[in-house]
Formats: sequence, structure tokens, C-alpha cells
Amino acid sequence: MTTYQEYILQNEERDGVRLSWNVWPSSRLEATRMVVPLSCLFTPLKERVDMPPIQYEPILCTRHTCRAVLNPLCQVDYRSKIWTCNFCYQRNPFPASYAAITETHQPAELIPQFTTLEYQLPAQPTIGPVFLFVLDTCMDEEDLQAMKESLQMSLSLLPNNAMVGLITYGKMVQVHELGTEGISKSYVFRGTKDLAAKQIQEMLGLNKVPGSNQPGQQQNNTANLPANRFLQPLHKCDMFVTDLLGELQRDPWPVSQGKRPLRSVGTALSIAVGLLECAFPNVPARVMLFMGGPCTQGPGMIIDDSLENTIRSWYDIEKDNNKYTKKAVKHYEALSTRAANNGHTIDIYACALDQTGLHEMKCCTNLTGGLMVMGDSFNTSLFKQTFQKVFSKDSKGEFNMAFNATMEIKASREIKVNGVIGPCVSLNVRSPSVSETEIGIGGTSQWKASGIDPSTTFAVFLEIVNQHNAPIPQGGRGTVQFITQYTHSSGQRRVRVTTIARNWADPNTGQSHIAAGFDQEASAVLMSRLAIHRSQNDEGQDVLRWLDRMLIRLCQKFGDFQKDAPETFRFAENFSLYPQFMFHLRRSSFLQVFGHSPDETAYYRYQFDRQDLTNSLIMIQPVLYSYSFNGPPEPVLLDSTSIQPDKILLLDTFFQVLIFHGETIDQWKKAGYHEKPEYENFRQLMQAPVFDAQDILATRFPIPRYIETQQGGSQARFLFHKVNPSQTYNNTMFGGQQDGSAAVLTDDVSLQVFMDHLKKLAVSSAS
Amino acid sequence: NLMQETRILPPQKTVELPLRFETNAEGMLIPPNRKNCNPEVLRCTLKRIPDTKDLLGKVKLPFGLVVHPFRDLTSLPVISAGTIVRCKRCRTYINPFVSFLDERRWRCNMCFGVNETPEEFLHHPVTKTYGQPHTRPECTNATIEFIAPQEYMLRPPQPAVYLFLMDVSHSAVESGYLQIVCDALLDNLERLPGDKRTRIGFLTYNGTVHFYRLSEGLAQPQMIVVSDIDDVFLPTPENLLVNLHESKDLVQDLLHQLPTIHNVDAEGEIDTYSALGAALEVAKKLMSPFGGRVTVFQQAIPSIGPGTLKSREDPNSRAGQIPTANLNPATDFYKKMALDCSAHQVAIDMFFFNSQYIDIATLSCSSRFSAGDLHYYPSLHVQHNPMEVERLKNDLERYLTRKIGFEAVMRIRCTKGLSIHTFHGNFFVRSTDLLSLANVSPDSGYAVNLTLDEPLTDQSAACVQAALLYTTSKGERRIRVHTMCIPIVKTTAEIHNNVDCEAVVALLAKMGVDRSVTASLQDARDALLNAVIDPLKAYKAGLPQSMTVGGLYVPKCLRLFPLYIQSLLKHPAFRAGVSTRLDDRVFSMINFKMQPVGYFMQDVHPDLYRVDDLNDEGAVTVGGREVPQPDLLPLSAESISQYGCFLLDCGWRMFLLVGRQSPQAFIKNVLGAPQFSNIEEPMYSIPELENPTSELFHSFIEWLRENRPHHAPIRV
Ligand SMILES: [Zn+2]
Ligand SMILES: [Zn+2]
Repeated sequence: MTTYQEYILQNEERDGVRLSWNVWPSSRLEATRMVVPLSCLFTPLKERVDMPPIQYEPILCTRHTCRAVLNPLCQVDYRSKIWTCNFCYQRNPFPASYAAITETHQPAELIPQFTTLEYQLPAQPTIGPVFLFVLDTCMDEEDLQAMKESLQMSLSLLPNNAMVGLITYGKMVQVHELGTEGISKSYVFRGTKDLAAKQIQEMLGLNKVPGSNQPGQQQNNTANLPANRFLQPLHKCDMFVTDLLGELQRDPWPVSQGKRPLRSVGTALSIAVGLLECAFPNVPARVMLFMGGPCTQGPGMIIDDSLENTIRSWYDIEKDNNKYTKKAVKHYEALSTRAANNGHTIDIYACALDQTGLHEMKCCTNLTGGLMVMGDSFNTSLFKQTFQKVFSKDSKGEFNMAFNATMEIKASREIKVNGVIGPCVSLNVRSPSVSETEIGIGGTSQWKASGIDPSTTFAVFLEIVNQHNAPIPQGGRGTVQFITQYTHSSGQRRVRVTTIARNWADPNTGQSHIAAGFDQEASAVLMSRLAIHRSQNDEGQDVLRWLDRMLIRLCQKFGDFQKDAPETFRFAENFSLYPQFMFHLRRSSFLQVFGHSPDETAYYRYQFDRQDLTNSLIMIQPVLYSYSFNGPPEPVLLDSTSIQPDKILLLDTFFQVLIFHGETIDQWKKAGYHEKPEYENFRQLMQAPVFDAQDILATRFPIPRYIETQQGGSQARFLFHKVNPSQTYNNTMFGGQQDGSAAVLTDDVSLQVFMDHLKKLAVSSAS
Repeated sequence: NLMQETRILPPQKTVELPLRFETNAEGMLIPPNRKNCNPEVLRCTLKRIPDTKDLLGKVKLPFGLVVHPFRDLTSLPVISAGTIVRCKRCRTYINPFVSFLDERRWRCNMCFGVNETPEEFLHHPVTKTYGQPHTRPECTNATIEFIAPQEYMLRPPQPAVYLFLMDVSHSAVESGYLQIVCDALLDNLERLPGDKRTRIGFLTYNGTVHFYRLSEGLAQPQMIVVSDIDDVFLPTPENLLVNLHESKDLVQDLLHQLPTIHNVDAEGEIDTYSALGAALEVAKKLMSPFGGRVTVFQQAIPSIGPGTLKSREDPNSRAGQIPTANLNPATDFYKKMALDCSAHQVAIDMFFFNSQYIDIATLSCSSRFSAGDLHYYPSLHVQHNPMEVERLKNDLERYLTRKIGFEAVMRIRCTKGLSIHTFHGNFFVRSTDLLSLANVSPDSGYAVNLTLDEPLTDQSAACVQAALLYTTSKGERRIRVHTMCIPIVKTTAEIHNNVDCEAVVALLAKMGVDRSVTASLQDARDALLNAVIDPLKAYKAGLPQSMTVGGLYVPKCLRLFPLYIQSLLKHPAFRAGVSTRLDDRVFSMINFKMQPVGYFMQDVHPDLYRVDDLNDEGAVTVGGREVPQPDLLPLSAESISQYGCFLLDCGWRMFLLVGRQSPQAFIKNVLGAPQFSNIEEPMYSIPELENPTSELFHSFIEWLRENRPHHAPIRV
């Protein structure tokens, strides 16, 4: 018998699913008492090397209200060639092509290890994917050059079947015609004008249909569509686009002293979305939006061009103290929704020292499954490497990007779906599995993610509807099936089917089983997603209070203690880390917005809402390694006591990777010991964390910010901000600095104080 | 007596000579035989001015001036003076007709104010003599040009700036004109008047407006399309009007490509729209900071965006009554555009190539009020209309390379007692005597009507002075001054015997056009008839009783007057009962208003020659070539026969009529056809054959053509 921990990891490996609970109470009432809702983190396209390429279509349950996919959990009668649907219990005959199956000769979809299986549909590959580059030209020469070079480089990385288009913007928006001979041609729009989709299409001449176009010939005629002036297969226009990028110049409109450049991001994006909408609806497409600063005019502007006015802060947003945010959000939401409905993705690559409006524009990436990259300059390795990684390939040599995905969830009768939190939109498809209670994007059994990659992870919230006194349902297990259809970067349509099942436990007698099936890591991430989701609408303080309340209730429900005796409180091992996660979550920049710009917050939350469990945990509770002469590097507590003069620390917060030299180390380094042959071991000690950091940088997307600092260094604040303030000024005032560890300048409570207080509340008979 | 004389046309063309003075005006120190202004530049309808309003009224002839101020001149004295001597009271430029009371004082011939002669003026720049101010160039040349000092500039002189607007709507592209225009531009790019600051730009338009970025360093020109034609804007702040020398390669590249880029849209789309109004709006924005010349090549009626027009012509009633409204603009869009442009020293020249109604009455406003120029090549088509193609090709060469004056003003001053009441031509009237001319060309003509407000009884002569202040294409500010002095007389007879008949007809034509658009075409025709009857009646009244019966007596100078008026009434501008396309008529009218008198006369009354028997008799030698001088024939059916070949020279076009029984030798030697029936029809060029007859013929045609600035293609 494997441990639950092993069971959880195996399941994650196979199905890309991590559930908050791995044994389910068969009663609705009991489920609500478990505090952490029944939910899961689901990574639909999780990379799997062992999956066979299935070249046929999945077999569906014949009940038209069900249409679940045949899976290894179904009961099969090999003699009569009949399978029973494990969702509706319909008995379905196998198609004729399955006549040869036996218990020893099973098709892949019946083999137990393939609870997740991918079907490669034999249908004709579609056009595309389309890459529409939307480029800011209001940036200094150096940044512009860097952006151009990155783009020219990217042309060589695009899939062979890619189509490309180019829009540039500054004060005006220019849509470039590609592949014209001789004179290059572009259409220009005023950046201040909010044009309706239809107007844009008319002005680009997209509504003009060539005379020979007749219905039924559509496939052949795509080559003649007017939109092809702007979107051309890469192999046809590679040279042209390279030259066009080469000749691209800074926005020629003069910018006077004390002004920001006029930058028409909103109009440019509107035109990009309109162009794709008209030309390639439901064809895989990405808009790649590059921004060197905020939108300063026209629809979607977030600040005017006067430098006397500063870009809104969290204070302005909470006080409703700026006139642009609401209008801008409305503009970008409308665009994102249109893009999502057409299966198109919007990426944002924003590089600037000041804010660029990600707070207003986050819906663009969040609704379409696009990528958001935030940096200081396009001329940094952070941006360059990150952008290069957009086009990276997996271990099978396939692009890590997929398009136009729909995810459908089917569940046994006792289970309903509340909703999903993650980068997708609702397809508004009602089914018997849809719950009345919405969490995240609910009210539907199908969702659309225009852009998706092997790491994209959704939080799915489920609800048990079985009545309290009803018996344990038939079969003893609850089943959920995820059917994800998407377009592979090769243009092939694929269907990934994941079917999971968990045991039902009797609510009265199965308490301990249920508790044992608790996955504290998954639960921490799922609760974090919920908390962040709540904070979009609720006041920050309310969210923290809610988190606290939930934590106390969880302690009360699953802790072991005597009433009003905090010192007796004990938590089982699989619950023990959970309060600590909550402690760090409370302090994290996902919930603490002050001290961060709205753009930073938007960016952090964006990343959190799409990353898998491992990365999410790093984001909640950064990882700290300590390097010393005393032994091999070891993980240490994220605590100020870990900061020691003779140690080097490596901090990974997901967004930053930081190497910190303790005071003594720093002195040795300044004395140049690492350059002296007799101190070879010091040189090695210095290098060890650098190599480890490089490993992280090499595998992570987006590339984290890399920082090297030391005790007293200005960048050290990144470390001090994250660690638990066990030694604060308050403490040291009483106890002084005894062990040489560094004091953290903060008003936060330490983890110890937090835990003590939590225990007190949990055991209190008053609550 | 016109009733007896039928052959009134002189066999050779007469040349109007400058007015000469036999007597000095009393009290004035005009030296004898002082030369008056060349009548081809400045002439008055009356070569003798009546001394009273009453007398002028009796004469019944129009009183006015016809001015061709920027005419190409073979010799023009140019002086660079530190100060330009002008009357301190009325600002008249010192001229040959002022009088020196003594060397230190001169009296103005306009306002009679007495001015001091500046010390500097007493030194003669050439002869280095002192104290003889009346011998200075300013006092010996009725036409003179000054290089203007600083105070004549409101801003640094502008560079030469040329913007070309080309209609690329479907029918425009079909006509093939783009190739002709682009070829002409390519051929003449180096010859465009200007200096190293010269700028050039191009716009094309159909349903959208297209800009061409020609920034240095680009490998290819960039075409920028603006589709938002209801709210059109400049897509980029620079490199649309580029320095011709710095971006010459790109300009040439563009001109090579232009005819084909719009040829057939890659997708086979047909764009039939023409967004001229939007294109003009951006042209205005583009040009306003500089000033300069906008040249529009228009083929289709503007059919989208601002300034959209609709057809107003009923093709079935081209011969009938013309609603006066149709002779007037349908919208003031183009006039407003012109006025805005004029305010920024921008003139709009237009070339029309339409085969269908385009509403020249409305479109022409953009040129008429901005001091632009208008050209019309009806139904131009590379294949179907070679005559107009040849005309366009040659006209373009002239147009692109002729002199041009920028940011000009022209003021006309008259001796006290005379005043101006109406101007004719293309300009903006800034004040009662001041015309704003954003551009001035050697082919633009103007005219004014004069009135006599106060009696001129105590003077023997009156003067008029036309002063044109302009910037040369090389960025020099200059003033060209023309002064004319006309004797004052006291009797109708003296006036009637000294009339400038061509000037009278030209002025009457202009007044007739005004009458047509304010009242009606019929009114104008009636007025023209009366204009010839009334002065002849008045003349008759002054004749002895014995000469007033049984004949139509006219003064010698007016013997062609009735003929010319009749020609006017038969001209497409004024004719009635003959099917005339509205645009043809309107263009003729506008042409009457803006043409210099020489071009005008050829248009109204073409020259007819018999050319199958050209010979050396009376031939003149020009440039080593014998040029035969056949007699002018009356424009009458009597003059032509099927036994000869006749050349009709209409100024802008020539027609060769080959009679059925023409001499075989001519057909063979000149037309290169074995016999009459082999002559191709139509035929637009005469082969250059190596025989004396052909050489004589070509020599004659060339001589005719050389005598005018523009080309006249021939059709057989
Ligand atoms: Zn079923
Ligand atoms: Zn005066």
C-alpha cells in the first residue's frame, strides 16, 4: 500500500490533477463542513512522454445528454462487446471496428494507465497559427532595436505553417500590407478614434469580397481573401517582414518637453482584434502586443500625455480617484471577450520602467489565455530570453503552445461543477453537471481557453450534491471527466481526455479516511486562487478576514486539542504545513497590494492564476537555500534566523532569483579571496548557488529577475521582504541580537506570533 | 464700310505695338519717345482715355486693362537697389512717367504728390554719372524687376514646394494618364524650378487616400493608406514632402512604380471612388507650413467623402437652355478649400481628364480662388485619344519647367480719378487694388474693369502701374513693375479711332462669363450683341451725315470687332442651339477668364491657312530655316475647297483638312500616303519625309508652334 503522498503524486503525474481532498464524503452537508472545498488543480495539457499517439476519434456514450468518452474506468463486457458509461450507466455497444477486443487485447482507452489519453483527429489541419505582431514604436532607439532583433529572431522560431501580420503604433496605428512588390504599403488609423469593428474592416477593405468567390469554394479561396494582404504565410513573406522590421523607425511625431509620447495601444489592439475577427474567426491566432509604455490617448488610455499627471496607484484606484481606469478596463474587456469568442489569444509584452497599464489590460491575457511579460526594457536578457522561450519546444520537439482549446467537464450524478478559476472564458453550455452555485467562471460545463500551454493550470471547484442520508453511491467512487479539445501548433486538432475517480466515504464513519486524503499543498494553492479571486471585488481586509476564518475553522474541524488549551493543539502531518502557507499568503504581494503598483499586482496575480502547483507554492512561500562550509546546500526556513554572516542564501520567489552574501562572505569576497588559489573552496562555495540559480533560470517561464546582493545591499530588501520576521526590531529591543541573525525592519507579526494566536482561536470554546 | 469690304482679315498677323507719345504732357518732363509698357504685358482697351465720365459713357466701349504680368520676357532689366524709390503718399514705384521738378524732387504720376529724390538715386549705376535721375533704369524702363530688400518679406522666402495629387480611381487608372504624368515628371524632375531646398510630394486617392513616405535611407518608398476619409489626417509628420535632391532616388523609384501599383489591385478589387475632397484636405495640411503648388490630376467625379459631387448634367438637353445654377458651383467646399489654401500661400492647379461629367463648375473653384491654373483634356485616353495625350505630354513639359512665382501679390495703381471695380482671373482679392496670388505663372492672365470717378480734364495722360511682388523658385523676393501711360483726349472720335480691339473682345468675353453665371447665358449673349451694336451706333453718330447711309461704317481699328463677337457667340462658352457638354462649356468660360489675351484670340478666332502650295514667297528665315508665310484666310466655307489642304490653328490644337482632290504630290510628299484613299484616319502625326515640300510644311508648323509657349498637336 502506497502512502497518500505517493498516490497523490502518481495521480498528478498521470492525469495532471491535484485534488484538495482525495477521499470524498458522500454527503453534501459533510462536504460543506470540510472548510476547504472539494476542488482540483487541473493541467489539461500536462506534458507526458509515454502517451501513445491515438489516430482516431474517441468513442462517445450514445446517450445524447451524456456523450462521455469511453475510459479505463468503464465496465466492459468483452463477450457481448458492450461498455457501460460510468457517468450515466448507459450500456453502449462498441463500434464494429472494436470487434477484435478481448480482456487481453485492449484498445489504449481501456488500459488502466491511460486514464489520460490524447486523440489526434484525422481531420484536415486548419490554417495557421496566425501571429499578429502589434508593435509600439514610441521607445528609445536602444529598446526599439532590441525589440526588432527579438522579433526578427522569432521569425526563425515560428512553426512552419505560421501566418504572420504586422501592426505598428505610436500616435497613429499602421497596419502593414505584406508581400507587396516594390513599394511597401500600410493602412493608417488615427490613434484617438474608437472605431467599431465594422468600420475597421471596411477601412482595411476586408469587406470587399473578390468577384470569383462563391460559396462552397471557400477553402480554395482563402488564398484570395482581402485579409491576406495583411496576414501571409511566413514562407511567403519572411524576407519582406524581416526588411520591414529592419526599416521600422521610432514614431516620428515629436514629443515635447514634459510630455509622454502619444501611444495608441487601445486602438492598435482594437484593430488587431478586428482584423483577426474578420479574417480568421476560430483559426488559431495570437496577437503579440509589445508595449514600451502606457496608452496615452484614445480608447483604452490609462493616463494623458502630461508628465505632471502620474499613473494611478492603488490608492487612486481604491479612492476611485482617476478618470481613465474604468473606461479603459471596459475597452479592454470588450476586446478580450471578442478575441476569446473567436478563439484568439492576446499576449502582452510590456517593458518600461514606469507602469504600462497592465492593471487595466490584464483581462486581455486572462480571458484569452495569453502571455503577460513584464520587464524594465526590451534590451534586457530577461525579456530576450523570455521571448525566445515563448517559442520553445517540448521533449518531443513540439511547440509548447496550443490554441483555441475548449475544456468540458462531466461528473457523476452526485457531483456538480461550481466553476473554474484560470485563464479562460465561459462557453455558456448548460448541462446536468452545472451547479447553481458559482465559483469563478461558473454556470457552464464548457470553457474556452484561446491560448493554452502544457503548464496552464485551472482551478476547478466541485460540489457534492448527494443527500446526507443517502447511501454511498453505486460503484463506490465519484468520477469526473475532463475533455479538452485544442489545436496543436502543427494545425492538428486534438482531444485530450482525463478521467479521474475517488472513493466515497461514509460521512459518519469515514472521517479519518477523509482527513487522510487531504492534500495540503493543493488546498493551499486552491484557497489562494479563491482568495485572489475574491480580492478582485472585495476589500483587501475582508479577504484576509475570510482567509483567517477559514483557517480557524479548518483547525477546529481537523485539529486535535482540548478546549481552551492552546498548548494541546496538534495537527496531523498532512495538515501541518497548511497554516504556514496561509501565513505567507497573507503577507504575499498577491493580497498585500500596498507597496506594489497596480501593474505589478496584476502581473503577479496573472501568473498565479495559471501556474501549476509547484510554481504556485513557490509563489506563496518562496524557497530558501543556504550554502555554507558546514556541508551541502540545504533548504532552510524562510525566516530571518536563516540570514547568517557566514552563509550564502539562494532565494527563489518565482519572480526573482536572488543570491545573498552574508556579511562575512561579503567581506571575504571584497577582499578577493575567491580569486586566490589557496581559497579554492571559497570560490566553489561562491559558485554553487550561481549554478543552481542558472538551472532555475533555464527552466522557468517567464525568466525570473536575477539579483546578486549582500548584507546591506539595496537589493537585499527583496529577501528581507519575504522572510518571516522572527527577529524584528520589536524583538531585538527586548532580547537583543543573540545569534548574529539579521533583524527585519517590519511591522508584520512573525510566524510564531501568528501560530500562537491561531491555536488560541482554534481551541477557544467561544468561537 | 463693312458692308462693302468682305476681305477684312489682314493677310498677316498684326502685332500690337507699345503706345508711343508724340507730344509731351504739359508741365511734365517726360523725355521724347519714352518707351511705354509692352502691350503683351499690359494693355488698355482704349488707347486714348476720355477726360470725363460723360465722354466715356458716350463711347459705349468697355474700359479696362488686360494684364499678363508674369509673361516670359526676352529681356528684363533687373536691379538690386538698397532702397526702392516709391511715392511716399501712394507707394507707387518710381517709373518712366513721373516728372522731375528738379533733380531733387519728383512728382508722382498717380497721386501727384511731390517726393524727394534720395541721394543714392542720383548716382547712375551703369554710367556712373551723377544728378540725372531720369536716366536711371527705373526711369527708362516701363517694365523692370527689383530684387526686394528685407522689408518686403513677412517671413523668409519659401522654398519651391510641389505636391502632386493623382486620382487613381478605376476609370482614372484605365485612362492611362498616370504613365504620361509620371514619365513627364521623371523626364523633368531636374528641371523643376527650384534650388537645393525644393520639396516634392505625392498623394494618390481612390476610395482611400494614399501617402508616400520618401524618407532618406529607405530602400523603397512606403505607401501609407488612410481610409478614414471623412476625418482625414496626416499619417506621419515628416517625409511626405521631401527634399527633392536628398530623396531623388526614392522619388524616381516611386514615379517608376506609380503607374503600375494602382493598375490592377492585387486582389482584383475595383475601386471606383475618388476621394478628391479628402485628398485636398490633407494636401492643405501638408502644404500649409510652407506654401507652394498643389497639382491635381482628376479623372472621375469626386464620389466619396467631403466634397462629393453629383452629376448635374442632363445629356439630352446639352443644346437647350442651361440652368444658370449649373454654371455655378454646387457646393462651396472647393471655394473654401481654395481660400484656406490661398491664406497659406498654396495654389491648386487642376488637370481634368474626364470623359464623363465631372462638374468643372464646382471643382474649378479650388483653382479659381487660390490663383491656380486649370487644364482640360476631355476624354483623355492613352489608346483612344492620342491627340489629347500628345497635348498633355507637351503641356506637362511646359507646366513642370516654366517659371513660377510663389507667395505673390499684385497691386494695380491708377492715376487719381481712375479706379478699379472688377477683377478677372484666378486669385483672391485681398483689398480693392490688391490681389493675392499664392502662385503666379507665365501663363496666367488677369484683367480689370476701370471706372472714371473724377474728371481728368487738366491732365494730358493717365498712368496705370501693375506691381507683382513674388518669391522666385530660388527663394529670392522680387518685384516686377509694369507701368503704362495713356494719353487723355476730349472727343469720341479720337477714342473710337484708337481702340485695342482684341483687348475689348477679351474684356467683353470675361464680362460675358460673369453675366452668364449671375444672370443667364441668354442674357450674356444679348449683352455681347449690344456690346458690338452700341459703340458702332455711337461711332455713326459722330460721323458726317453723308457717311451714315447705306453702309456699316466702323473705325479701322474696330473692323474685326463684329467678326470677333460673332466668333465668341459661336464659341462653346457662349454658343446656343449646338450640343455642348456642360463641362466643355464651363471650362471654356473659365478659360476666358484666366487666359492671357494672345492665347484667347487664337481660341476664339483660329487661323486658317492653305498649306498644299507652300512656297518661298515672302518666306522669313528663322534659325537658319526657311519659313513660308501663307496668307491668313477668312474663317469661311468660301476659303476652303476640296482641291487643297487647309490648316486650322486653334492655338491649343491644329487640324489639317485634306481635300478629296488635293494635289497628289502633297499627299505623297507630306502625308506619306500614295493617294487620298490611303490616308489613315484619324492621323495624329505628320511623318518627317526627306523632300522639300515636307520640309517646308514642317518648318511652317514648327514656326507656328514656337510662337506660343504651349504645344498644339495636329490631327489630320
Ligand atoms: Zn453516459
Ligand atoms: Zn503717389
